[in-house]
Parts: sequence; C-alpha cells; structure tokens
Amino acid sequence: MLSNFDFGVILTSLPYLFGQGMVFTLSLTVMAAVGGTVIGTLIALARLSGIPGLWHLAKAYVELCRSVPFVLVIFWFYFLVPYIGAYAIGSKTPIQVGAFSSALITFTAFEAASFAEIMRAGIQSIPKGQTAAAQALGMTYWQTMTSVILPQAFRNMPPLLLTQKIILFQDTSLVYVLSLTDFMGAPSKIAQRDGRLVEMYLFAAVVYFTICFLASFLVRRLQGRFAVIR
Amino acid sequence: MTATPMPETAVTTPIADADHAPEDAGLRPGGLVYGAPAAAPGETMIAIDGISKWYGDFQVLTNCTTKVAKGEFVVVCGPSGSGKSTLIKCVNALEPFQKGQITVAGTKVIDKSTNLPKLRSRVGMVFQHFELFPHLSITDNLTIAQRKVLGRSAEDAKKRGLDLLARVGLSAHADKFPGQLSGGQQQRVAIARALAMNPVVMLFDEPTSALDPEMVGEVLDVMVELAKEGMTMMVVTHEMGFARKVADRVIFMDRGEIVEDARKEDFFGSPRSERAQTFLSKILQHRRYGDPIDTAALSQPSRIRILPMPSR
Repeated sequence: MLSNFDFGVILTSLPYLFGQGMVFTLSLTVMAAVGGTVIGTLIALARLSGIPGLWHLAKAYVELCRSVPFVLVIFWFYFLVPYIGAYAIGSKTPIQVGAFSSALITFTAFEAASFAEIMRAGIQSIPKGQTAAAQALGMTYWQTMTSVILPQAFRNMPPLLLTQKIILFQDTSLVYVLSLTDFMGAPSKIAQRDGRLVEMYLFAAVVYFTICFLASFLVRRLQGRFAVIR
Repeated sequence: MTATPMPETAVTTPIADADHAPEDAGLRPGGLVYGAPAAAPGETMIAIDGISKWYGDFQVLTNCTTKVAKGEFVVVCGPSGSGKSTLIKCVNALEPFQKGQITVAGTKVIDKSTNLPKLRSRVGMVFQHFELFPHLSITDNLTIAQRKVLGRSAEDAKKRGLDLLARVGLSAHADKFPGQLSGGQQQRVAIARALAMNPVVMLFDEPTSALDPEMVGEVLDVMVELAKEGMTMMVVTHEMGFARKVADRVIFMDRGEIVEDARKEDFFGSPRSERAQTFLSKILQHRRYGDPIDTAALSQPSRIRILPMPSR
C-alpha cells in the first residue's frame, strides 16, 4: 500500500515548505508572542490595578476573547475590518490591511488575552510583602513593578509561559483559513497541486510534532535554572 | 554562626548618618518634602495624632496618639492582634487609616501635597519576613532603591551599600543571593538596605519573630548599635528583655488602643493598667522556663541574652 505513496515530493518541495511556510509561521509566532507578552502584561496590571473603569475594561476584554471562537475572529478581522475601517474614516474603498498584518494583529490580541491571565496569576504569586518592601524603600508603582514584582513573576513561570508559546506556534496554523502560506498552508498547496495529500499532511504533522516535542523538552530542562530561590 | 564581630575600632561610617548625607539636599534643611520645616534635634520625629482604622466594620485602631522624639528608641508591645504592627505600618502609609493624622519629620502622611514615595524613602522599614528581593544579589538588594529612588550613581550606591554590609558584618556575602543566607543574616542585610537610604527614622515590625532563637541576638546587636548612634527607632517586638535594656519608652497596645505609654522604668517597674500588668506577668511567668534576665550580660550589646518568646 505504501508503494502508492511518493515521498519524493517532500524533498523537491523542501525549499518552498521551509523558505516560505516555516519562515511565515515562525515570524508570526515570534512577533505575536512578543506583542502578546507585552500587551498581556499591561492587561494583567490593569486587571490588578483596582482602578474601577480600567479593570472592568481589562476583564471584559479577556472574557470576550475567551468567549468567541478564534477562527471566527480571524475571519471577521480579515474580511470585515477593512470595511469598518473605511466606514470609520469615511473612505469609499475598503482600507488595505495585508493578510500578514491582519493575522498578526488578531494573534497578538488573542495571545495578549490568554497571557494576561497567566501573568495575573504570576503577579499574584509574589508575596505581598515584596510590594510593601519596595514601597517602603520609596519606589513608585512602576519602579516596584518593573524592578521587583515582574522580574520575579517572569522567573516563576517559564514552564507556563513557554508552553503557552508552543501552543501559539501550533495555533498559527489557523491562518490556513485565510489561504496564507504558513507551514500548514504550504504543504497543503503542494498537496493539492500534486495530489499528494497524505504525504504532505503527514510530513507537516511530523515537523510540528518534532518542533513542539523538542521545545517542551527544553522547557522542562530550563525550569530548574530560572526559578528564584526563596 | 557566620557573623563576623563588628569592627568596633575601625568604625569609619556610622550606621546612622541621617546627619551626614551631603547628597540629600532635598531632605535638610527642607524636610522630607521641599518647603517643609526641618526637624531640629530633640524635636518630634513622628507625631501620631488620634488615628483610627477600620477593616470594613472591624476597628483595628482606636484613637491612637503618641509622639517619638528625635533619637528616641520606642518599643511597641502587646498581645497578638493588638494592632501594633498595623500602627507602625501607618507611619509610612503602607496601611491607610481613615481618621487622624501622622506627621513624620514635619511631613503629613495623609495629605494630597505629600510625595509619598519620597517620604517613604526617608523612613526605613524592617519587616518580620525580611522581604529581601530574592531575584537580586545582596549587593543589588542594597543598591537598587538608592539608584532608582535617590538617583545615586551605581558606584556611589555600591560604595554605600558595601560600607553598610561591612557594618552588619556580612561583607563576605556581597555576591550571594538572599536564599543562600540564614534568616539572621537576611535580616541584617534588610537593615543595611533600609539604612542605605539615609533614613531619618527606622521602623521595625517584629524583626526577630521569624528567626530561629540562635539568630535573634545578632539582629538585636545591630539594632543596639543603631540606637547608640542616635537613630530614631520605633520597634514592634516581643523581646521584652531587649526592650527593658534598650528602649527609652514603651507603648503597650491592646485591642487597637494605646493602653500605656510610659518610660521604660515605669512600664516594667509599675505598670498602671491592669491589662499591661497581666501581659507582663504572663511574660514573667514564662521566665520560670527560661533564663532570667541577666542584666550584666545585657550591658554588653554583643552578648545580649534574650528572654524566650512569650507563648501565644
């Protein structure tokens, strides 16, 4: 049965698969991860701030992102936002948002929402006395956060933090719905062209698995190194 | 014990040099906030004026009033839950209070025009659980606030930090992390960290309560040194032997009220209130199971002997 398969197609399409597909996937992952971490941290701080309007807003945002299917938002953002944007600025033609930018914004926004919850737990895990000590030394809110609380919160959570990024890496395959050439889209296009669906999807699965498995392994190895001794 | 004895003869930098901080022109003659009157010697450093505090419906502090003069060593004692820790945390507004006012070196704690971080930077505080920053080395613990809050250069901050680290006998540990030190050593670093900011007042919130018994002495030694150098100190502690030896005044609290506020001789000799008498007799009874106060030993700060903790 295997004789019906032609795995040679993988070899010939490697430059395309990795040169375009993997580069796209990795850039989207890295950019969304960085953006999501920064914005997510700010959302977490807003949620913990106790300032009435601000934390309601942050909570509402996180709840919204958790309550709608992600694929729907990717679609929605890509097809609807250009028209809404055009309406908002009074333009007759839809504003141009590139497919990559559109995907990046959507992923960053979602990553920020889920990371905000991790970060919130991370910040809350730092004893209250640390804040008191920093404030007693005359530190302002931002000095306390950036010098004392956040560095400890980040070091306490590499396992969760990095696992979240591995999930993000897998989730970027959802840009498939926008027909973008990520590492899911590239094999798919070759598969359709050459009629080699099984081979290409199998290969994509193996590569995703290998990368994620190795990354998870590294996360476990790193775990011990970062933890703060108390 | 890894503590090296204090270099009694080679003292170049006094621990308490609130009077010796040339780079802090903002404090004197201007007070903690620019334009505020400076505290002259003998003047009131901390004025607690009728403060009350509630957690929801529960009143934790009731109309507390007292004063701490410059250079005075005041011990705050009382049974668990009497509000003594809460009171001391009100002094630098770590705990907000709803009624009354506290004035530190001429600066009102609850006031819109008060720059609270600046006020706190001049009020040193030492916590029960040390609260060193575990992700930073000892040196960084000593310098971070000097650099970020006082704007000192990394070099100046490090010099000041290491000077104080030497004064608490821990020079060898400069590059270690807090988790590598014993409780007593961590608390001495915490005292040095607070002193690095050139505070005008030092607050201690049960500084020895979380320590193993054999480490209590080394921390109290540092505090005695500090008192000798004229630092204004307000200390919440259960170490009554230490209070009896070192304190100028004792404030006894119970159920959120200041029940007794007396000179140490009067408080230990003839406490007026029944509640203070009960409190003291419990501690004195406790002595049957431990060493009596050895006043001869107490006169030697480096060999202070401590009463066992009162049972709770």
